[in-house]
Order: sequence, then C-alpha cells, then structure tokens
Amino acid sequence: MDVLKRNNVTVSGEGKQAMVFVHGFGCNQQMWRLVAPVFAADYRVVLLDLVGAGRSNLAAYDPAHYSSLDAHAEDVLQVLGALDLHDVVLVGHSVGAIIAMLAAIEEPTRVAQLVLVAPSPRYLNDVGYTGGFEPVDINDLLEDMGNNYLGWSGAFTPVVMGQPSRSELTTELNTSFCSTDPAIAQHFARVTFLGDNRADLLLVRTPSLILQCAYDVIAPLAVGTYMHRYMPDSELVVLDTSGHCPHLSVPQATIAAIQQFLRSTPTP
Amino acid sequence: MSDAADDEQLPELDLRLTQENLDEFYEHAPCGYCSCLPDGTLIKVNQTLLDLLGYTRNELVAHMALQDLFTIGGRLHYETHCVPLLLLQGQVREISYLLRRKDRTTLPVLMNCALLRDADQQPLVVRVTLFDITERRKYEAELLRAKDHAEQQREQLAKANEQLQRKNEQLTRINADLDSFVYTASHDLRQPIDNMAGLFTELKHSATFHDPAATSMVLMFEEALQQILDTIGGLTAVVQQQRELEQVPNEAVALQPITEEIIRSLPGIDPPATFTLDFSAIPTLQLARPSLHSMLFNLLSNALKYADPSRPAHIRVSTALVDGAPVLSVQDNGRGINLERHGPELFQLFRRFHPEVAGSGMGLYLVNRLVRQAGGRVAVESKVGQGTTFRIFLPR
Repeated sequence: MDVLKRNNVTVSGEGKQAMVFVHGFGCNQQMWRLVAPVFAADYRVVLLDLVGAGRSNLAAYDPAHYSSLDAHAEDVLQVLGALDLHDVVLVGHSVGAIIAMLAAIEEPTRVAQLVLVAPSPRYLNDVGYTGGFEPVDINDLLEDMGNNYLGWSGAFTPVVMGQPSRSELTTELNTSFCSTDPAIAQHFARVTFLGDNRADLLLVRTPSLILQCAYDVIAPLAVGTYMHRYMPDSELVVLDTSGHCPHLSVPQATIAAIQQFLRSTPTP
Repeated sequence: MSDAADDEQLPELDLRLTQENLDEFYEHAPCGYCSCLPDGTLIKVNQTLLDLLGYTRNELVAHMALQDLFTIGGRLHYETHCVPLLLLQGQVREISYLLRRKDRTTLPVLMNCALLRDADQQPLVVRVTLFDITERRKYEAELLRAKDHAEQQREQLAKANEQLQRKNEQLTRINADLDSFVYTASHDLRQPIDNMAGLFTELKHSATFHDPAATSMVLMFEEALQQILDTIGGLTAVVQQQRELEQVPNEAVALQPITEEIIRSLPGIDPPATFTLDFSAIPTLQLARPSLHSMLFNLLSNALKYADPSRPAHIRVSTALVDGAPVLSVQDNGRGINLERHGPELFQLFRRFHPEVAGSGMGLYLVNRLVRQAGGRVAVESKVGQGTTFRIFLPR
C-alpha cells in the first residue's frame, strides 16, 4: 500500500526541517491554503488528507479501523515514515490537532514541535469539565449533516463562478473541497465529537503551542486553558478572533503566532 | 430630465408598479434577509425574518449573531463547514438548517450566504438569505425515512441471499458427494461380487453335494447373486446417466419412433401385452434423448413387470397439453399400488412394493430424478387391482 497516495500527500518547499499539516473535521488539506505557503521558504511543507476526507483513498476507510483517532495518528506516522522525516513541526487543526498530539506521543522522535490550532480533547461536558456540548447536540449535528446531504450533490460546482480574486483555485479543487462521502463524514463526526483524549494530555513531551480563538463555539476558551494546564511543555496563545478557523479568518495573526513559537523553541 | 418625463416613457405599464420601492421590497421580500459581520454579529435584518422568528429588531441587531439563530447542531455545522467555505470561496449555497424562534420552536430554512471583502481584501460583511422550507423539509424527511427503510430491506435481503447461497453450495456439495459415494460403492462392490460369482461357478463344477436340498439352495444362491448384480448395475446406471446428462443437450425428440423402439426391446410376457400410442396432441418433446429414453423404458418395463397375471396387459402411452405445458402419460391396467401406504416412499431408492416380483427398486427413483432435472414433476394415480397411471409434467 502506498501511504502517500492513500493520504493524498503533497510536498513542497525547501528546508532542513519539515512542517506537516493535518486538517480538521469537515474539510481537507485545502484549509491550509492561506498559511502553509508562507512556510515553504524555510521548511519542507507536507500536506495530507486524512483517510475518508478530500482526495484520500476513500475505499481505505474501514469504519471499524477508524473508530478511534489513534488509527489516523498511525496514518500520519506512516506518512512521516514513508518520507523518512524526523523532528518535524506537526501542525493540526481541531480534531487534526488531537491526531497530531497522539502521533507525537506515539513516536516522540518524529515530532520536535507541536502546533495545535483550536484543539479540544473532549467536546462533551463532564463533571468538572466544560467541553461545550451535550450528547443531544452531537445527535443534532449528525441530523443536520443528514439533511444537508440531500442537496449536496449539486451544491459545489457553481461556487467558483464570479470569484475573480480567488481565480487561482482550480475548479477541480472546488468540486472536491469539503464535500465528503456522507456515510464517512457522519462516522468521522461521531469519532470526533464523542471521543475523549483528556488523559493523553499528560503524556505529551513535545513542546507545544495551543492556538486558541477568543470566541470559539466549538473549542471554547475554557478548553484551551484546560489543555494548557495539563500539557507539561505547552504555551497558550489566544487570538483575538471569533470562530473555529483562525488560519482562515486571521491567517496573518496565525502565521505570526506560529513563527514566534518556532523561534522560541530550540530547533533540533 | 424630470420625473414626469420618466413616467411618460412607461405608457404601457400599470402606474401602480412604479410604486415598488427597494426598501419596501427588502423589508417585506418573500424570504428572510440579514447581514452580519464576519464573526456573525447581526447588523441588518428584514421584517420578513423578524416575523418568521418572532424577535424585534432591537433584540437581534448588535445583540445576537447568525449562529445564535441556529440549533446547536447547525452551529457546529456552520463553524466547521460554512465558515471555511465562506472564507475560501466567498459563498455557500443551499445549506439546510433549523432556525430557533424566540419561542424556542424551530423553523427549517435553506440558506445562501455571500462574503463581501473590503478594498484590502479583508472580510467585511456576510449577506444571508433564508427561505422557509417547512413543507419541503417534511417531504425530505419522508424521503430520508424511505431511504433508511430501503437500506434496511436491502441489508436483510442481502443476508437472506447469502444464507441461500451457502445452503445451495452445501447442497451441491452433498449431491456431488452422494454421487461419488454411490459410484465408489457400486464400483467397489462389483469386484468381490464378480469374484464370488466366478468362484461359485467353479464350485458347482468341482463339488458334489449329497444333501437333496442342495440343488434348490444352489438355485436360491444364484438368484440372490443375480439380485445383487442387478442392484449394483442399477446404481452404476444412476451415476452414469447423471454424468452423461450433464453433457447431452436438449433436442426435439419424436415420441412415436423412440417409444416403438423401446417396446421392441422389452421382454415378451404371457399373455402378450397390447400397447396404444397416441402422441397426436404433442408429437415431440424438448428433452435430452437419453433422459427421455430412460424415463419411458423404466415406466414401460414397470408396466409389464407389474401386469396383473389374471388379465391381458393393456398399456397406453399418450401426450396432452395441460395449461400450455406438455404432459406425458403411461397408463396400465396392472396390479396397482396402495398409494395411501406407499405414496411417500414411491420414488425413494431401493423401495419395493411388490416383493413377489423381481426388481431392484431403482426404476422410479431414476424416473423422478430425471424428470426433476428437466424442470418437471411426476404425478401418480393408482388403484390396487385396477392399474396405475404415471403423468410426467414438463415445463413449457
């Protein structure tokens, strides 16, 4: 099996150290469009699609195998192995941040620095923990996803029209952008939003940056501070923005925060 | 140019149309409009949307965000799906959400959004249109239910099919095992029985028996030997016929000549039997020739074998068309079979119903097997002391 094909891996840029980006729930590697190219001048930039998303090998999505985030972390490590990469900067968004964290715990020599964008180790509320959601909310999401797939087949092709400033996006990218197989997306939503990785926080030995949005419904501020408290070698930066995707809404601030963090941690 | 001059250029239009003004249209458009900041904060809402939601303008503008109008599931979907699309592609279309009214009831809507950017390409404002799709959502819910139902049925069907397939494979295997068992058994029995027959012939020549009963015992022994040989022969025939039939194609076989040929080959009985052949209804049958030959041979030789010794045998072979399908009948006036007693076992291997007449118990088993293989079935009518009729129902 070719893991680079399986995860639709694309490599660009020059540099001794590699910077690997893992996207979050509901999208694919295109999410990094406004951030990753900036780092291509100093790093070997590696983008990938998680199995089941984007242009990964959808046939490889066995729900039983991918019933926990560890399987995705294993995939990321296989990609690093296939490219013979060590001491990388591993950047993950949302659930992709947790996947990156699990990969760093599993094989610490592969990852020198972790950048976690809007991460959450658990989305459901618990005794003494505010994740932001109740189980009924997650069922609500799954239902909304179901309702939207009815209209999805034709919803993505006309999107590029009349967007001259974004013309560098090819039609091909747009047609596949964020549109996933409905069954896979719903299964991945379950794995993402019902999982609990709080216990793993203590196991992280890698220097980590937690990039937290000030107003994020999906990963509230309390979650960011919780992670920072339990991750031994972590730094918390709160970006003054709303929403769950700072790398899209405030790309400049996101880039600046990552650059600041990379300068402050020793490069191996 | 004056307003009056403008009006004069539209002489054909109803003057009331000119009263349509954009502000009025925005407020009372047949869909909800709102505008919000990039973070979702509502900055402008039309009256239609206020009416749909039951809020006043002051409750919404600057105090609530677009996401606050969604159910929590919708909010999750909006943040993970719509926001990335808006920021990367400038718009999203046809997203289906539930809005939460002020009274906490929900309203299904279809949403289109477009993002406007300022001169520095920074996100400025999001324009949103919301269409009430209450009726459409009901219909979609029906569709989803039907789809789930169909999916469940498909799974059940697939499971049943799989079971059937397994059973079928099992049966095919058992059938093949049975055939090879019968073949091996008949083959392995044949050798020692032939030896026994040879040895016995030698023994008769060389040995002298002093007991006067010996002569009849020797005769009985020979009869028993012959019976075993017949049985083994029958078994071999069953398997061989099966193997041959797998290679012989169906053809149109004329019934008159093949039946006459079989009758000529049968042993004569006393008093002599008379045959009546009537194939006028259907003169030919579409079957493998050896198969038809074997069916007719076994039924006709049975008819002779089980003839009533007290009256001359009369046997009638005929065809008929029943419900558009051919039926081949062999009718005799022989001893008859007690069907109430023997009916269920009639076609089983080695079953005998007339111990006073020699036979191997193979004939009817073979006939039934051949007819079933051809896709047909065998029916029997019989009265003890009056005669028996076999009907072979073949497929159209």
